[in-house]
Amino acid sequence: MPRITFIAADGAETVVDAGEGDSLMQVARAHNVDGILAECGGEMMCSTCHVYVEGDWLDRTGPADEDERDMLDFAPCEITDASRLSCQVKITDDMDGLVVRLPERQV
Amino acid sequence: MSLAPVNDSVTVHRLIDDPYPVYAQMRTHTPVVQVPSVKRTMLTKAEDCRMVKDNPALFSSNDPTTPMEKAFEAHTLMRKDGEEHLRERNAMMPTFSPRNLKTIWGPMYERYAAEYLDRLPRGEVVDLFPTLAGPLAARILAECMGIPDASDEQMQFWSQALIDGAGNFGWFDEPFERVARANKEMNRVIEANAERVKAAPDQSALSVMLNAEDPIPWSQIVANIKIAIGGGINEPRDALLTIIYGLLSNPGQLEEIRASGNWSAAFEEGVRWVAPIQASSRLVLEDTEIRGCDIPKGTVVMTIQASANHDEDVYENGHLYDALRKSQPHQSFGSGPHHCMGTHMARMTVGRLLLPILFERFPNMRLENPEDVVWRGFGFRGPINMPVRLN
Ligand code: HEM
Ligand code: FES
Repeated sequence: MPRITFIAADGAETVVDAGEGDSLMQVARAHNVDGILAECGGEMMCSTCHVYVEGDWLDRTGPADEDERDMLDFAPCEITDASRLSCQVKITDDMDGLVVRLPERQV
Repeated sequence: MSLAPVNDSVTVHRLIDDPYPVYAQMRTHTPVVQVPSVKRTMLTKAEDCRMVKDNPALFSSNDPTTPMEKAFEAHTLMRKDGEEHLRERNAMMPTFSPRNLKTIWGPMYERYAAEYLDRLPRGEVVDLFPTLAGPLAARILAECMGIPDASDEQMQFWSQALIDGAGNFGWFDEPFERVARANKEMNRVIEANAERVKAAPDQSALSVMLNAEDPIPWSQIVANIKIAIGGGINEPRDALLTIIYGLLSNPGQLEEIRASGNWSAAFEEGVRWVAPIQASSRLVLEDTEIRGCDIPKGTVVMTIQASANHDEDVYENGHLYDALRKSQPHQSFGSGPHHCMGTHMARMTVGRLLLPILFERFPNMRLENPEDVVWRGFGFRGPINMPVRLN
């Protein structure tokens, strides 16, 4: 089971075991990680599941595609190259150790 | 296990007049409860409401027993699940893209906001419901739907007729007759504009849906526009009035928001405090269980987002408007596949654009008699008047 670390805007860390095939958003919600709202439930319609992928992990997750970047435009916090909508990141076994940071707010 | 307890004492009138104390009682004593007066099993806890909306395979939107289909003369996307729902929804999505909001609807809304504010007299007591909140919500919706020749009055009349028709659970004649009239008018206006946008495509919903490579059926194009009319005027109108009330009755908060410029926080708190759409229904497809109560297949559960938004497990003093509250998730835009399509539109127009313009234009706006404000509604809720002195 890939182990994933969520770092909240205030620095608090939550480490959880992810089910393979789940999205990063589903993992966060299953473990009640604060700071991911995911209002649309993963349909890429709400932009309230924004995360920053830490460091080199972006090579594994890949960057946001064009549609995702368009939707990210709705997110209130700064969008960087590391920004992803967590509902669009599928967990694979090579993501064991993945670290993502959460923005200060989602709306 | 046993069925959810029954609450025989709650009447529809009580829910229309003053639902929040009822919901507070329910959250404490009977969070899952059958309410015969509305023929629904109410869910009043945040966690349960969210769970239902996020689980469409078990809790379907497709409830054929409601008066909605008759009112809309169509089986609309709001009452569909799965692929069919997504296809009809996606047909309208391009209109609400971030780029369109930023470059078309935002600037257009600002122009209309300025124009409508220009008409308001200074120094007098003015009811902002009929003079600003209603017409402005109607105007931007007419534009982005692609029926700009529909007047503010028509839009508002149609919207209310659709809402009253869809909510006509008593199956009385008058609401159906009224909405039948509205449907005739809407069909005529939509058809006329269809010719126009076929000749000159734009980013309006009508144009985007009609001119798509693989368009959805005409019946569903019309149905989508009606859903937006029925569901896109009241809510921004009621949200705006609620926020104005909240800020004017909490001057300290207003000062801080003015200083920080964080009008979005005032907006989010307003829609949390009094959710413009207070409740939604879902049909249970298989026997299940919620919070220890058996919920048989065929039950219609009602998620009370109004109550979820005041849930003690999530909020401290949820019954108070507090724009400075540490941001908390609310359920006013719903969640899951039917999550409100107008969310970003409403957040931008009311939250980021109108509120700062309004309070800048009338820096000394005053609500002289807060007790004169009347709140009403069970399914939809908001103030039905907002008499303020503009200065
Ligand atoms: C403050 C303003 C608004 C609030 C609080 C609000 C609330 C909601 C809620 C709670 C739902 C979900 C209903 C359910 O789950 O059964 C919804 C759906 C919807 N809303 Fe809004 N709404 C607002 C503004 C708007 C605007 C401005 C538009 C149109 C431009 C709009 C269009 C829609 C549509 C089309 C749906 C149906 C989506 C679907 O079934 O897939 N809303 N809204
Ligand atoms: S959950 Fe809505 S965009 Fe990711």
